[in-house]
Parts: sequence; structure tokens; C-alpha cells
Amino acid sequence: MSYSTYKQRNRELNDAARTWRGGYQPYDLVKEATIALGVVALIAVVLAILFSSPDEHPSSIRSWSRGQPVDFVTTAVSELDGSSGTAGYGPPYNHAQIGQHIAFIHLQQWFGVAHPINTAQDYVIGPLSQIPGQPALQAAVATYTHASASQQAKWTTAYSNALAHADVEPQPTKTKPETEPAGASDVVVMPPGNYGPVTTMMNALLLYAQAGGLDGALLRSGQFYSTDYTKILMFLADGGLLASRAQAEHLLGTQWGMMNETGSFPGQSWLWLYTFWYQIKPFSTSANADILVVAVMGVLSVLFVLVPFLPGVRDLPRKIRVYRLIWREHYASGS
Amino acid sequence: MDGCFATPRFPRMLAAIFNLNGHAGYVHVWVIYLSVPNLIVIVLMLVLFLGALFAPFPNSQHRRRS
Repeated sequence: MSYSTYKQRNRELNDAARTWRGGYQPYDLVKEATIALGVVALIAVVLAILFSSPDEHPSSIRSWSRGQPVDFVTTAVSELDGSSGTAGYGPPYNHAQIGQHIAFIHLQQWFGVAHPINTAQDYVIGPLSQIPGQPALQAAVATYTHASASQQAKWTTAYSNALAHADVEPQPTKTKPETEPAGASDVVVMPPGNYGPVTTMMNALLLYAQAGGLDGALLRSGQFYSTDYTKILMFLADGGLLASRAQAEHLLGTQWGMMNETGSFPGQSWLWLYTFWYQIKPFSTSANADILVVAVMGVLSVLFVLVPFLPGVRDLPRKIRVYRLIWREHYASGS
Repeated sequence: MDGCFATPRFPRMLAAIFNLNGHAGYVHVWVIYLSVPNLIVIVLMLVLFLGALFAPFPNSQHRRRS
């Protein structure tokens, strides 16, 4: 069939379909919508009774520091020396890098540092400075903050390297209450080395976190309701706890985690196309994967919206003829 | 008490009949990594779609006669 014949045929079909010359049936849209709403509500209630909802216990800095004190201290040192993921993230937390971009579109940079986080100050020095009645700790914090950047780096590097050989032991000076759970006051024992004031600071931060004080300090926002968990989440994300829990629940990006849910609950299967791009190159190896995936999905969404205007694609329903299955009685009657 | 809302007064009153807080199975084909619960939901959606295609309209017999 030539292109002109094809166009002529399409024009005839469109003209024929433009005006309905057959009979009409009454249709109560409100009744239909009410029935649909009722059925869906009933299904939702029945499913909620049968399956309930995910019941994962939350992770906090308190539980993390008690369960994995070495990982906590390792992360805290990386926050102190600026080598953590948050410290090097860029906008919206800091200016460490320009962030993800595609061609001339620098969305992260354009929106700027909307939620500033100075990891050393916010996660270590600030909370430690608020602990009262510990002159030795305050002296250690003062020593660190007044030292040169190169001296600070020597201390933190030595401490970080030695953490691989650190031991975890119960706190020797504290009388452990009978009701205290295991790991609630464990300390990290470092091999001998020149760590300056970092050992004192890290031990104090660990005890502060194990008591729950660091959760509260990072949640404090100066407003009546404290609901901004960004600092806590970023600190947790810099450590190994969240990643290990996510991996166990198949929630990592490499595990199609975007469409999964914890436990055996079905997840967000409609996000399959979003998460699919992250599994293949160049998205899986790109530092700009997020903005690339958003761009691809944006283009596909625009194409989807424009289907009625795309020659060939808009004719697919007519070619596939699924509509004849739905309205088979009508077509069987020959009208 | 996993998977339930419970207080000392109403222990396990609203516990789920089927507890889904265990670990799910996963299907791994090529780069596709799909949980069995998601697969079940996708199959159910396909069944619903096919049902919508092939199920007769309500009162279709009556309509045809009239």
C-alpha cells in the first residue's frame, strides 16, 4: 500500500468514526463510580485484614552505635575529616562538587545548598561541645579545633587506619545495670598510636550516641515540631548499617530496590521502567545516573502524551484490533 | 510482636492473618530481578486485563434480546 493510499484510507476511517450513527444506551456514570469505589474500598479493607502492613523496626543512631560501635566510630571519623559520602555530596548539603548534570542542565547546582550540613561541626564537634561536665572532653575538642588542618588530618588518618585493628569491649569504669541490653555501653579499644584528641572525642561521641543523645541533638531544629530527620539519615547512610539492611531486604538500587518492599509484601511494581534503566549501561556506571534516568523517563512520558499526534503509533489500536474483542457483540451483530 | 498492633490491653487484636514480614523469594532472569510478590501482582493485573477483555458485559444477553 502506497503512502497516499494509506493516508486516504486513514482519512476515510477517521471520517467514518467521527459521527456515531448507531443506537444509544443509557449509562449511569455516578452509579458506576460508586460501585467501583465501594468494591475497591472493600478489597482494601479485606487485604489489610489478611496481610496487615510491613513492620520493620526503625534504625536509629542509638541502635547503630550499640550494635556496630566500630562502624559508627569509623563513620564519625569520616565525618570529622570530611571524607564521608555526605561531606563530598555537593548540593543540597554543601559545595563539595557541582552534583549531577546533563549537558547544560545542572539541577543540583541551580537549586543550591538548601540544607547545609557541615559534617565535622554538625555530627562531631557540635554535639560534643554540648555535653556538660566533662572538662577533659571539652579540652580535647578545643585541642582539635585549634590544631592546623594538616595536624588534624594526621590524627584522623592514623585513627582511621588503626580502626581495622580495634577491639570492642564493655566499658570498664561503668557499673552495668542488669536491665541494660548487650552492647549498650561498649567502647572501641584502639591499638597504641598517635591519635591526638581524636580518641577522647570518639569515645565520648560513641557513649553519647549509645545513650540516645546524638539522635536528639541531630533532630533538634529550633521549631516546635522536630520532624527533619535529614541529618540523622545522612549520618546513618554514611555508615554500613542502612546499606546492609537494604541489601538484606533487596532494596538496593542494583537489586531493583525501587520497586521492592520489605519482607514478602508486593512493592511498587509500576516503577519497573524507572528502576530498569539503573540496571543497564550507561546508567549503571554513570555518576549522573539519576538525572539521566529522569531525562529518559521525561522524554518517554512526553512521547506517551503525544501518542494521538504521532503518525503510525496513533494507528496501533486500529491495527491491533483489541477493541473488537471488547465490543465483539457489537461487531458480531454486523452493525 | 511482628505484624500486629498490640497493647497490653489488646494483645494481638489486629494481627495479620497472613504475616508477610518474612523474606520473599526472587526471580533473576538477565538483568531482571523481580520479587515473587511483585510477580504475583503483575500476573493478577494481566489476569484482570484479560478478564476485562473477555468477560461479557453485564446484562449482555438481555440487551441482545431487546
